[in-house]
Amino acid sequence: MSAAVTSAEARAARQDREWKREEAAIARKYMGRVPWEMVAWGLGNFVLWLSLWPLTLSGVLPLWAGFVLSTLSITLCYLPSHEAQHSIIATEGSKLRWLNELVGHVSTIPLLLPYRIAWITHKQHHAHANDPELDPDHGNKGDTWWQAAWNGIQTRQFGAGHGYRNALGRSDDPNLAKAYREAAALSLSYYLVLTTLAWSGHAIEAALIWWLPRHIAMTYIQIFLSWAPHHPMEETGRYRDTRAWRSPVGTILSLGMEYHIVHHLFPRIPLFQTGPAYHEMRHMLDERGCPNDRPD
Amino acid sequence: MRFVRSTPMRTAAGPVLFGVAFLAPLVAQSLEAASLSAPFGLAPIHFGLATGIGLGIVAARRGRWL
Repeated sequence: MSAAVTSAEARAARQDREWKREEAAIARKYMGRVPWEMVAWGLGNFVLWLSLWPLTLSGVLPLWAGFVLSTLSITLCYLPSHEAQHSIIATEGSKLRWLNELVGHVSTIPLLLPYRIAWITHKQHHAHANDPELDPDHGNKGDTWWQAAWNGIQTRQFGAGHGYRNALGRSDDPNLAKAYREAAALSLSYYLVLTTLAWSGHAIEAALIWWLPRHIAMTYIQIFLSWAPHHPMEETGRYRDTRAWRSPVGTILSLGMEYHIVHHLFPRIPLFQTGPAYHEMRHMLDERGCPNDRPD
Repeated sequence: MRFVRSTPMRTAAGPVLFGVAFLAPLVAQSLEAASLSAPFGLAPIHFGLATGIGLGIVAARRGRWL
């Protein structure tokens, strides 16, 4: 009996190694190129958002249109920075590293999410996904998307002991002090801009171009990037903490997160390649029993 | 999302400051844009300040806006 168990365990371990090799070989095919589309997306989207200010303040663009475009723009601003956080645009020491850092820093300014803070906390999300104590995104857990949205809003309240603050408190990242300084500067700039605009007669524009769109975007991002791919957030472990899923609103509206499982397995694969990589490695993921709600 | 280390005093002052700095003019300008007059014969900005400070105090006591 004992010999049979040992033999079965050995077979399983051998199979696991073979699958890991095959998964890595597939992943390598999709890594390494510069995702120029994300560079254009990150920088272009930031310029678009900036241009909404003069266009709406001068009356060229109706405020309602500015509100819609700003909400869309801020919702889209996180993903290019996410690629930069994982050094997908350019690795450390490479010639285009400056571009990676530029996209990382600039693209999430409208979201008021400092790049270094995002990276320090995101690393902890990857290391501890779904851990109630250690995953900074665990506050987005909910049985339904609207519960997740409400829980996400609660984690952003100023008095909440939310996961990001706890994650930063635990971090020994050498860039932590710099990250705090940048966060303070960004936060201060945001409130100065809002205050200046508000007291110079443009409070409604400030509310509809930045304040409200940012809150809507943050909730949308929390639902599709944190809650949906990790729902029900019960299991931990490399092949258990993230799922493949079929979004009722489609791949684009769910920000490409249907294949987030591939991102957690191989974080250096660019967003646009996670779908093809998923379809190539799906048979192994299914054999492993990875969470999968996709019919295809 | 707030990332700056908070002290209890800063946490309490933040919402009230936000109420004065942003919500007050927002309320006042929203009233004017909707051609509504402030209650009790108040000027829109005075009503905005009362609302902003009031909401800020409530938020500071609760630890959250919503």
